[in-house]
Amino acid sequence: MTDLALSALAPLPLLAASLLFLSRPGRRPGALPRLAEGATLAALACAAGGLVQLLLAGPQMMPLGGTALLRLDPVSVTMALLVAFVGWVVVRYARRYLDGEAREGAFHGLTLAAIAAVLVLVQAASLPVMIAAFVATGLVLRQLLLFYPERAEARRAAAKFIRVWGAGDLALIAAAVLFWKGLGTVDVAGLNAAAALPLSAQVGIGCVVLAAVLKCASFPVHGWLTEVMEAPTPVSALLHAGIINAGGVMLIALAGLVQASPGAMAALVMIGGFTALFGALVMLTQSAVKTALAWSTVAQMGFMLLQCGLGLWALALLHIVAHSLYKAHAFLSSGGAVQTVNAIRRPGPVAVPGPGAVLRSFGLAMVLYGAVAAGFTALAGEKSAQALALGAILIFGVSYLIAQGLADAAPGALTRRTLTASLAAALAYFGFQVVAQAVWGPGLPAAPVPGALEWALIVLALLSFGLVAFAQALFPLWAHHPATAGLRVHLANGLYLNALLDRVIGGFRSPARS
Amino acid sequence: MFLKHTQIAPTMVSKLLTAAEAAARAVPPAFPLDATVAVNPFLGQTGEDLATASARLARVAGAALTPPRAELAAKVRAGIITDDDLVAALIAAPSAYKQWDLAGLKERMHAATPAPQPLPTLADLAARATGTDWPAVIARAFGLWAAGHFDRGQALWTPRPGQSAFAAWRDWASHALTPEIAGLKGFCAHVAEAPDTPERAILRAAEGLGIGPEAAETAFHRLLVDLGGWAMHARWILWQAELNGGSDTTLTDLLAIRLVWEEALLAHAPAVAGDWQAVLAAHAAPLAPTPDQVLDAILQEAAERAHQRGLAGLLTGQVKAGTRPVLQAAFCIDVRSEVFRRALEAQDGRIETTGFAGFFGLPIAHRAPGSDEAEAHLPALLTPALTSSADLSPEAETDLRISARTRRAWGRFRQAAVSSFAFVEAAGPLYGGKLVRDALGLGAKGFALEPAPRIEGGLTAAQKVQTAAAVLRAMSLTEGHARLVLLIGHGAQMTNNPHESAYHCGACSGQTGEVSSRLLATLLNDPETRAGLRAEGISLPADTLFVAGLHDTVTDHITLYLDTPAPDHAADLAQARAWLAAAARAARAERAPRLPGASPAGLMHRAADWAEVRPEWGLAGCAAFIAAPRAATAGRNLQGRAFLHDYDWQQDQGFATLELIITAPVVVASWISLQYYGSVVAPQVFGGGNKLIHNVVGGIGVVEGNGGILRAGLPFQTLHDGERAAHDPLRLSVLVEAPAEVIAAVLEKHPSVRALFDNGWLHLFVLDGGRIAARYRPGLVWESTAAGARKAA
Repeated sequence: MTDLALSALAPLPLLAASLLFLSRPGRRPGALPRLAEGATLAALACAAGGLVQLLLAGPQMMPLGGTALLRLDPVSVTMALLVAFVGWVVVRYARRYLDGEAREGAFHGLTLAAIAAVLVLVQAASLPVMIAAFVATGLVLRQLLLFYPERAEARRAAAKFIRVWGAGDLALIAAAVLFWKGLGTVDVAGLNAAAALPLSAQVGIGCVVLAAVLKCASFPVHGWLTEVMEAPTPVSALLHAGIINAGGVMLIALAGLVQASPGAMAALVMIGGFTALFGALVMLTQSAVKTALAWSTVAQMGFMLLQCGLGLWALALLHIVAHSLYKAHAFLSSGGAVQTVNAIRRPGPVAVPGPGAVLRSFGLAMVLYGAVAAGFTALAGEKSAQALALGAILIFGVSYLIAQGLADAAPGALTRRTLTASLAAALAYFGFQVVAQAVWGPGLPAAPVPGALEWALIVLALLSFGLVAFAQALFPLWAHHPATAGLRVHLANGLYLNALLDRVIGGFRSPARS
Repeated sequence: MFLKHTQIAPTMVSKLLTAAEAAARAVPPAFPLDATVAVNPFLGQTGEDLATASARLARVAGAALTPPRAELAAKVRAGIITDDDLVAALIAAPSAYKQWDLAGLKERMHAATPAPQPLPTLADLAARATGTDWPAVIARAFGLWAAGHFDRGQALWTPRPGQSAFAAWRDWASHALTPEIAGLKGFCAHVAEAPDTPERAILRAAEGLGIGPEAAETAFHRLLVDLGGWAMHARWILWQAELNGGSDTTLTDLLAIRLVWEEALLAHAPAVAGDWQAVLAAHAAPLAPTPDQVLDAILQEAAERAHQRGLAGLLTGQVKAGTRPVLQAAFCIDVRSEVFRRALEAQDGRIETTGFAGFFGLPIAHRAPGSDEAEAHLPALLTPALTSSADLSPEAETDLRISARTRRAWGRFRQAAVSSFAFVEAAGPLYGGKLVRDALGLGAKGFALEPAPRIEGGLTAAQKVQTAAAVLRAMSLTEGHARLVLLIGHGAQMTNNPHESAYHCGACSGQTGEVSSRLLATLLNDPETRAGLRAEGISLPADTLFVAGLHDTVTDHITLYLDTPAPDHAADLAQARAWLAAAARAARAERAPRLPGASPAGLMHRAADWAEVRPEWGLAGCAAFIAAPRAATAGRNLQGRAFLHDYDWQQDQGFATLELIITAPVVVASWISLQYYGSVVAPQVFGGGNKLIHNVVGGIGVVEGNGGILRAGLPFQTLHDGERAAHDPLRLSVLVEAPAEVIAAVLEKHPSVRALFDNGWLHLFVLDGGRIAARYRPGLVWESTAAGARKAA
């Protein structure tokens, strides 16, 4: 038998604590909430123990009978640490936040169970384990979304969620069956090592991509994610930080297999890239803070799938980690939005950059990119074409920061500070990317050498992100023009995909009759 | 305006538009959350009594304006309400309401009352007929539009500014396809063809829907209630416009919008026309309370009399004051200061405290450091007359602005479409540290130590004297000054709470009292002021020093601001600090047991906890307003439930101060008390909903969950600890130590204030020598309550 990976034990204290709440599902369940926080700290300690084992003894596998159960590798231990950490923050938050709720104990029990299920999911060493964890996560999360079952909106959101999530589970089950038939294995390691892919495995990879798209709330099945603010804030934080990226974690775990299918990779680039731009544009129009954050998640998950499709697996994982930490904080602190908005108004009007300033900012950003990229290349070696393209896309974003400082009305001191901030941002993300590549890169496939299809997709992505970045920098010049009013209406409505889904599932029906 | 109405007669036009105006004025304003103050939710109903307003709100909102009868009956069973209280309430009820004797009342008391149902809208009727939840569809579609239209900076892409609400909505709704997807075919075309002014839209809809002048007022009110906090926000826009001498039509725009929906739904479900006629007939019927509503109003009156009985038992006469105090401290009248004042006075017999509205009489709009925005720091009823700003060098001011603008640019970088991805990759990992910091509550900065404020342009010597004299007279603080006089405003330190400003000083428009108290202290220490005051007949001892302070009502910590150097008072200040610290400990020990999960020492952590939804109880529990010398209340435990305003009628020449108290602080206190009342008894209409699913919208308010209707008023968690209610809904009892006839004269001069008392929204008592002497009855009548009471007209 192999050694026991400590990180594999992380779900156990959570499940044990979760069971205790069965006896105290109601209001103010004594010391149990404190115990729940303790359980998350124990899980965090287990994950940290796994990291130590990984450093000392290298990757491991925990089998049970013939099948692989859980794995210990840089990806799994990163995710276990991330999920346990976010879990601790969320459970600690909920201890005060939920105080006095009629179903306080039930909330803690369900939250712990959800974290435990996700901890299994991110460490799963075979598809059956992964599928079981996905199903469990979905069932528990559905109960959390129905924390206020008397709210029709909550029931509608839960109905949408469980349908989309369940479809993802079905796609993954289909994939497992196809892999079993075509490749004779459902272990993650075995699948990644598959040499030749029969047709059934190719279809299976398609199913995996489909599952990821459903789980990550990509266009056009994003609707459910923008409606799940019906549950208390900690649920949103957990969902957006720990659960929504599970589809991406699954793709990264199966990176070797998925990358063997150029079609699947192309699909990820196209769906992910479109979702990223679509979600980001809709986010601009949203006036409710949590709703805007939800649309931002749609966009960020799309961007992560784009990274997967480009074969930048380590960067996709970096994006998952970075986004989780940011989004958990953003949801939990969303009560401060009143003050944030007030602070925006206080220093007077925003200096609007003209087309000239925007062009200069793009030029400056490119110079900045050239210098920083050259520096990091000298330090860390050659970059793939995909990585360079991604860097360019990100630097388009930084140009927006520079453009704000270059506006004619902006005082010199402001220009200097935004330039400093831009430089810091550029250095930070290139730095993080180098670290990500060093930590996770060796265990993940390298980005494929681009062929015609890959080049076409890279150019398409560069052009579309560049165009939107340019438009965004000039935004104040056209956003209020009557000609764009209709566009704003349609985007604010998320291009009605959610309304269409409502129509299909009866979301517009009166509650009494449904 | 040239209207072409072939069928509507001009008199009908004016009647319908008058009804629309009346419906708009029936809606209370809701202040944006960045500077929110309590508002009387029954502002539009003060001309009616409780039972009649109950009938109105039942019709238009399905709301009861009294607590559930079972709760009142339980109070009777528990002996909190006695038979005497019930009899007194019965006797006091208007004769038309007297349908029961005591036995009958007690028998009926135990009968269950059906929950009131509002008259249905066409959306409700169409929903029943078609199975599609039209009210929910409208709430979502309208809420999405309104969130964008009223957004003050949340979204980067807001609608084109400068359009009226109606014009903006027509633009929106003629493009938005959601209603059509929900099944309302042709809605975009219907909107595009709607009249281009709200008046014409209202008139066309009234004609098409058959809404006549008799039915119009409550039918329109019904539709505005459906829009919840959005209508209240529009009412606030009107309130602000009128305060500044202007006007605004946003609220009638919203009515027109809602009527356009009703037209479309009648066309969509023509089968409901018959039911709709019946609804209109019900709207046209005169408003009269049902026997159940009358009974509940009488029980409510009895509950208030029970509270007043307790108060009368506590107020047993004035205690005599001694010699010159060693420390005087003026606090805001806010009920939360009562606990602290009692604790401070208990430290030493020579400490005197007084109560005054926390803006300290200075009508200020203040520009915070690095800000363009002058924010009001005075009661919402008044307009600012002076502007103040931080006393900063231009370089420091520029520096602050550059920092703020850099932060803003970074924020836009975080939010904008493509750059949001760069932001996450560059800054996301750093949020791990922020999560740890905030989870452990290490991020709280406390109240920022702002630079001293100064009045922009300064005041002339004459203005200084005039202002100082007016404030000191209004505070009844013209003689007997101690060596050290503290002027203590208040604010509440908390983290991550959208309703934070509701915990700050209501007399300072939801800001903290820091700026006002510091400005007054500086003014009163100014030698020019001192010199001129002597001529006004107010002589401040040369050794009297005024020092401003800020009371943190979460932690009871008091920050003192030494803006005037005072080396001679070092010992006095050290002693004062020691007393304040000891008083803070006592106040914390008294307050903490009432707060769930709190310990006296843990309140500091509570203020820093980003997950805390009940940082403190705010003004929950408020039930009385006492304007009298402190001698009438000193040493009594009023449990943080009374507004205490110091007032000495014998010093009040011409009774100008009494008039000011009755028309300003009393009215503000009534708004607070009735906001609590409304949020408790009708939470669906006037309450702020559940904080756990609040979603801040546009920087102005909150919605529950995904979106939809704005929720104004107090959230559930500020009124309830999960097991017990923190606020007993009672209409405020106002007690004034002054001659009854003088009080009556003030009321006669101010009919709108008198209406509050005549219609029972406030109770009024005369104090004589610190004891309750007479109760006010509608029509300027006084009813003697104790031996030795003065008889008055």
